[in-house]
Amino acid sequence: MKTIAEISITPNRTILNGDTISTANIAGLYREFVGDYPKFFKMDSLCKLGFIGSELLLKGINAEEKENAAIILFNRNGSLITDRNYQKTITDDNYFPSPALFVYTLANIVTGEIAIRNKIYGESSFYVLNNQDMDLMNDIINNTYLTSSPTFILTGWVDFDDEHNYEAKLKLVTK
Amino acid sequence: MDNLILQLKNQIIEVLNLEDMTPEDIDAEAPLFGDGLGLDSIDALELIVLLEREYGIKLSNPAEGKQIFKSIASIADYVSKNRKK
Amino acid sequence: MGGIMITKIADNIISPLGYDSNANFKAVLSGETMLCKHVDSFGLPVPFCGSLLNRDEIISLANAEIACAENYTFFEKLCILSAQNAITDCNLSPRESNVIFIISTTKGNVDCLENSLEDTRCILASSANKIARYFGNNNTPIVVSNACISGVCAQIAAIRELLSGRYRYAVVIGCDVLSKFIISGFQSFKALSPECCQPYDKNRVGLNLGEAAGTIILKAGKPSNEEDWQYVSSSIHNDANHISGPSRTGEGSYRVLADILKDVDANEISFINAHGTATAYNDEMESIAIHRAGLDDVCVNGLKGYYGHTLGAAGIIETILSMKAIDNGVVLATRGFESTGTSYTLNISNQVRETSKTAFIKILSGFGGSNAGISYRKGGKA
Repeated sequence: MKTIAEISITPNRTILNGDTISTANIAGLYREFVGDYPKFFKMDSLCKLGFIGSELLLKGINAEEKENAAIILFNRNGSLITDRNYQKTITDDNYFPSPALFVYTLANIVTGEIAIRNKIYGESSFYVLNNQDMDLMNDIINNTYLTSSPTFILTGWVDFDDEHNYEAKLKLVTK
Repeated sequence: MDNLILQLKNQIIEVLNLEDMTPEDIDAEAPLFGDGLGLDSIDALELIVLLEREYGIKLSNPAEGKQIFKSIASIADYVSKNRKK
Repeated sequence: MGGIMITKIADNIISPLGYDSNANFKAVLSGETMLCKHVDSFGLPVPFCGSLLNRDEIISLANAEIACAENYTFFEKLCILSAQNAITDCNLSPRESNVIFIISTTKGNVDCLENSLEDTRCILASSANKIARYFGNNNTPIVVSNACISGVCAQIAAIRELLSGRYRYAVVIGCDVLSKFIISGFQSFKALSPECCQPYDKNRVGLNLGEAAGTIILKAGKPSNEEDWQYVSSSIHNDANHISGPSRTGEGSYRVLADILKDVDANEISFINAHGTATAYNDEMESIAIHRAGLDDVCVNGLKGYYGHTLGAAGIIETILSMKAIDNGVVLATRGFESTGTSYTLNISNQVRETSKTAFIKILSGFGGSNAGISYRKGGKA
């Protein structure tokens, strides 16, 4: 497995290919590096985090290469933050279930958001693991090639606990 | 009516997360979907929730929404005639 | 395929129609369903039509068959019961290090949030760990959380683990239980039909939700006889179009079918067991995808009219029922279908049809623009 590019995003530091490029939070990163995709503001926190990571990683990759790429992401909490927010909309005394929240109660939506933005038609998969188990993740990524031939794989860990605790550790890899 | 239109604009900006937009940016007559504000099907569903929560209006058939959600002005018109709260 | 063959060695379905695969197949063959209207269930202010498990019966079954059953949630009990049944069936030793557990679910224990928003039992990985540990298995289980396509993706994840040679056996469990959380969400999407759903029909108005658990056990190795089911091909593609609306061109689903057709001859396909949720957009999208793949003549069926949409279980139980159907020489009827309501006319019927072909394709599509398909073939043919 060959790594083409990698990024790490935490609340106080964003490191792209070894260089600290920003100390902004997720919204700050959007304004600094993206700025032209209002749909960003409709996403839940997990999607925003994964989306920003993908934007920075995929800069300069052409459409042809992206078409048959795969997106394979992992985390521990799934969509827990949004699950809680949706749950608040269905209490007995204030029952107004929100479709815009409900759709984000699926962790794999982040893979869909990245696919839509980049016109990636390849595999999109989301796995929930007990911890950031690098061996298992690398195993799953390598095994992808056993039944498919993506041009490259956008992969890694993307987990959002709260405003002060989140982490994206994403990379682009080829076989 | 102008008050209702302003109120609706503010509510829509909030529930649909139209960040960076102010009520002045939205033309009450402009289409909300497609070329206008670029809203999509999930936004339409969220507008149905908004009408119910804020104005006590229940739209059971989403197809009804098409006419009502044409523009802020058409929503205001419908709300003023049908509101329960 | 690296020369390794993948064979299915056991399966189980627990659903409102029965507690093993054969009972389920017989019920579906004779057109049964437990779909009906539920008023005041789960504290929902609006009634819904769905297929619900008998909770008391499942809990007493769990108390009888699961050690320390009280330590497990309803979702976990179902997963354990289903897996235990399949494991016993094939005499697998689940504690061996060459066995991996893979779990397909959309929301697992999400109903725990009703009691406390801080309840961590709804973390899917913890739940999966409890299930694997119950069987004495110490490998890290993998949870596939790809919305409604999870059941097929979990099989694909299992197949990749087996092809890689790291494991010899994969226990693939698919399960979702309904709750106020899930049903209210689909209601807010205006996606539910107030009556029994009508897949592909011109009068279809939406889907029904259902509960089930299913298990497929796969083994790396040659089939031992002509009756065994072998994995043939699989594919996953995104529509890159919208997070909740299916593609208007069936893009992802079409690409899935096109991939699978590289490994399977259209003439050997008995049927495509499609997603067929009975929403206007899903069924229309699938008709376009199947047409674009040139498979208009191949039999298509959908099983949501018997079970509703069982979410994370759907891909598992519908795969098992497709295998059972071919074992019995039939294409199952599409319950609820009367007359074509899609742009392209599919070869679909509300009657059971005979078949002598031995391969099928199972396809699914779901939120996030995701689409997946898998094909199995019966018999020792390589």
